Amino acid sequence: MSSSDIFDVLNIKKAKPQPATVEPSHSSSPRPPVTGIQRELYNLLGTNQPPIALSSKSNEQSRFKEKLQANGKVVPWTNAPFKPNDYVVLNHWIRGSSLNASNDNTKSTDKLEKLDHNKTEQELPPSKFKQFNVHPTLPEFTEIEYNDFMSDIILPSEISKADNKPNDEIITTNKDIKESGSGLEAGDNQKAESANEGSKTPNDSDKDHKAKNDTWTYEETLQLFHLCRQYDMKWFIIFDRYEDNGKTRTLEDLKSQFYKVSKAYFHKKDPKNPLLTSLDFRKDKEIERKNYLQRLLARSAAEIAEEEALIIESRKFEVAAKRTLNEREALLRLLDSPHSEQSVSRYLTSQGMSQLYTSLLSDKSRKRKHPSSNSIPENPWMKQQQQFAQQRQQLQQQHHQQQQQQLQQRIQQQENEQKSQNIKQELSVKPNDSIPSIPSTSKKTKKQKQEEQQAQKKKSESARLEQLLSKFSEEERTALGVIVHEKKLNAGVYLRSTRIPSFKPALQNKVNLMMQELGLPMRPTMVTKRVMERQEHLLKQIANLADLKKHYDKLEAEVEVRK
Amino acid sequence: MAPPHNKRIKTLSVSRPFIYGNTAKKIGSIRPPNAPPEHTHIWKLFIKGLNNDDISYFIKKVVVKLHDTYPNPIRTLETPPFEITETGWGEFEINIKIYFIDSSNEKFLNFYHHLRLHPYKTPNQIASTEEASTATTTTENSNNATTKDEGKNDNSKKQDDDIVSSVIYDEIIFNEPNETFLNVLLSKPGNYLPSNSEEINEKNIVNGTIFSKQLESDEIDRINLRIDTVEKEINELKEKIKERLASK
Repeated sequence: MSSSDIFDVLNIKKAKPQPATVEPSHSSSPRPPVTGIQRELYNLLGTNQPPIALSSKSNEQSRFKEKLQANGKVVPWTNAPFKPNDYVVLNHWIRGSSLNASNDNTKSTDKLEKLDHNKTEQELPPSKFKQFNVHPTLPEFTEIEYNDFMSDIILPSEISKADNKPNDEIITTNKDIKESGSGLEAGDNQKAESANEGSKTPNDSDKDHKAKNDTWTYEETLQLFHLCRQYDMKWFIIFDRYEDNGKTRTLEDLKSQFYKVSKAYFHKKDPKNPLLTSLDFRKDKEIERKNYLQRLLARSAAEIAEEEALIIESRKFEVAAKRTLNEREALLRLLDSPHSEQSVSRYLTSQGMSQLYTSLLSDKSRKRKHPSSNSIPENPWMKQQQQFAQQRQQLQQQHHQQQQQQLQQRIQQQENEQKSQNIKQELSVKPNDSIPSIPSTSKKTKKQKQEEQQAQKKKSESARLEQLLSKFSEEERTALGVIVHEKKLNAGVYLRSTRIPSFKPALQNKVNLMMQELGLPMRPTMVTKRVMERQEHLLKQIANLADLKKHYDKLEAEVEVRK
Repeated sequence: MAPPHNKRIKTLSVSRPFIYGNTAKKIGSIRPPNAPPEHTHIWKLFIKGLNNDDISYFIKKVVVKLHDTYPNPIRTLETPPFEITETGWGEFEINIKIYFIDSSNEKFLNFYHHLRLHPYKTPNQIASTEEASTATTTTENSNNATTKDEGKNDNSKKQDDDIVSSVIYDEIIFNEPNETFLNVLLSKPGNYLPSNSEEINEKNIVNGTIFSKQLESDEIDRINLRIDTVEKEINELKEKIKERLASK
C-alpha cells in the first residue's frame, strides 16, 4: 500500500506541485534500490518527503560529501631557487608566482648551472626566510689584541709555543671561512698561524702535555671562535668538529675558554658593562652537574626501584610520626579535660546519636554566643506566668475563705474587699516589675528564643513533674525508684544490666582482662543506679588506662628506634 | 494529639528491682509421673520481686521460651507467681519476655537466663568462669564472709540437700513512662531495698532478700577501691609520658 492508495481512499486529489515532486525524484534517482521494510516506508512517504532523507549509511556518505569547487582559479606552483646564504643556491616550491616570474626563475635556474656563483647571487631576490637566519655576532680580534686583553686577566698565553702539525681538516675549515667571506681577517690570521705552525716541530714531550691542555694558543682560540661562529654556538657540534691537535680538550674546556676570552675581550672594551657577569662560566660546576646527570642516568632498574621504595617508606614514616604526635596530643588533652560521668550507651542507637548531635550543635552555638555563661537565660514571661498562677491561687483561696466567711460572718466582707484590693494592687504593680526585662528579650536572636521556648517547655514539664511528685518526699522517691533526670531520655523500658558500657573488641578484651586482674566481674551483682555509676566510671578509667598504656608503649618504641 | 494521660513524662525514669533465676534438684525417688526417663533434674524458673514483693501490678504476663526439645516450648505465665517447674537433663538458655500492663504502652522486655542444674565442684576452685572466681572474692570482702559463693550474679552452689540455684538481680528501668503508668508504678514503693542483708541461705537467695542496701554499698566500696588503683596507675603513666615528651 502506498500513499497514493491512502489518498484514493480518503478521496484526496493528488497534490498540485507536481514539478516539486519531480525534481527530488530526479535527484534521488541514482540512489540504489531499497528493499524490504525500507521500501514500504518509502512508499508511505508519498509526496510529503521529509527534509532529511532516510537512507543507509553508505548512501548518506556519498550524498553529503562536499562537491569539488571547480570554479576557483588554478594556482600555479613554481620550483624557485633561493639563496639561504652567500655561497649556495637551493630550490624550493613557491605557491602562486606568475607565469612570467616562474619562467624567469626557470630560466635563471637553467642559467645557474652555467653561471658562476656571484652572478646568481646578484640575480636572485633575497629569500623571505633570510630574516630568520640570524647568527650570533662573536667578537673578532687579532693576535695582538688577543694578547693584550688576555694579559689583563691571566698570564700571557704562550703563543710561540709549539703546536701539533695542522692537519687537513684545519685547512678545510680555513677554506670554508674564506668561502663564507665572513671573518676574512681572522681567516687570514689563521692561515698565517697555521703556516707558522707548520714550521714547528710536531714532537712534544708527555710532560708538557698536561700543561698544554690548560694553556690555549691564539690559534686554538681562533679556531674555537670560528667554529662557534660557524655552528651558531651549538657546542656539541663544535666539540665534534674541533681539532684538538693531540691535546685532549673536553666540551667544558672549550666552553670555559670561549667564555674566558669573551669576558676578557668585553672587559677590555668596557669594564663597567653590566652584562659581563653573564659571561661567567664555572667549569667545575658544569662538570659536577654532568657527573650527577651521568650517575642519575646510569642507575639500574633495581636501583631506581629501591630508591622509589625508600622514598615511599620515608613518606610513610613521616605520616605515621605526625599521626602519633597528633594522637598523643589529643589523648593528653582528653586526660586533662573533665570526664563525663554519663553512660555512652544511650547514644548508641541512631535516635540517641541524632540527639547527641543536636545537643552538641546547640552547645557549640551557645558557646560561641555566650562564651562566659552556660546557663539558660530565664524567661521573663515564664516568671510572670508563675506569678499570675500564684496570684490566681491566692485569689481562689481567698474566694474560698470568702465563701466560708460569708456563711459565718457577713460583716467581715469589708475586710475581704480590702484584701482583694490589695491583690489588685499587687497585680498592678507586678507587671511593672517585669517591664524592664522585656526589651532585652526582643533583642535576643532566634536561637535564643528557641532556647527560651525549650526552657519554658522544660520548666512547664518539670513543673508538672513536681506537681506529680509533690506528694512524695525524697526518701519515698528513692523507694519508688523515681528519678528526675536533667536531660531528655530515650523513652522505653530496659534492664539496667544491659547498659553496662562496652568498647571496641580489642579494647574490650583489655578491659575484661583488667577487670579480672582487679577481681571484679563485668556485671555487678547489685545493678542499682549507684553501683552502675561507679562501674561505668571504673570501666571508663580502665579504658583510659589501656589507651594511655598503648601510647606509652609507642613512645617507648619510638625512643628505642631513635637510639 | 494524644490524650494527656498517655503523654510520656519527660526526663523521668522509674526503676523496679526484681530477681530472676532458677533452682534445680536431682530427681530423687519420687519421680514426677510424666517425666521422661532421661530427665535427671527437676528445676524451677521464677521471675519475682525482691522479698517476694508483688510485681504483677505492672507486669501483665511473662512468656518463657524453653529449649526446642520440650513439648510446647513457649510457655505463657499470665498470673503470679511467674514461675515454671519442669524436668530436664541439660542446661540451656531460657528466653524470657516480660510484657507490661496495657496502659504502660511499653514494649516487652527480652532477656536470657542460663538454666543452671549443676553445681560447681567446690566454691574455692576457680573452675568454670570468671564470674565464679570473682564471686569468691566478693564474699571474702563482704561482711557475710562465708565459704559459699553467694551474693553474686550467678549464685550457684551446692548444698547438702543438693539444691542448685542461680539467682540474678536486675532492675527494670522505665524511661519516661506515661502518666497513667507512672501512677500505677507510684502506687507501690517497688524500689525499696532492705537495708541489711539477711543471712545467706537458700531460702533468702531464692526470695531475693539478700539483695540489700548493705550489699549495694559493699559493692560500691569495692568498685571505688579499684577506681582508686586504676586512677593511680593513670596518673603514673601520665607523668611518665610527660617526662618522655619533655626529654625528647
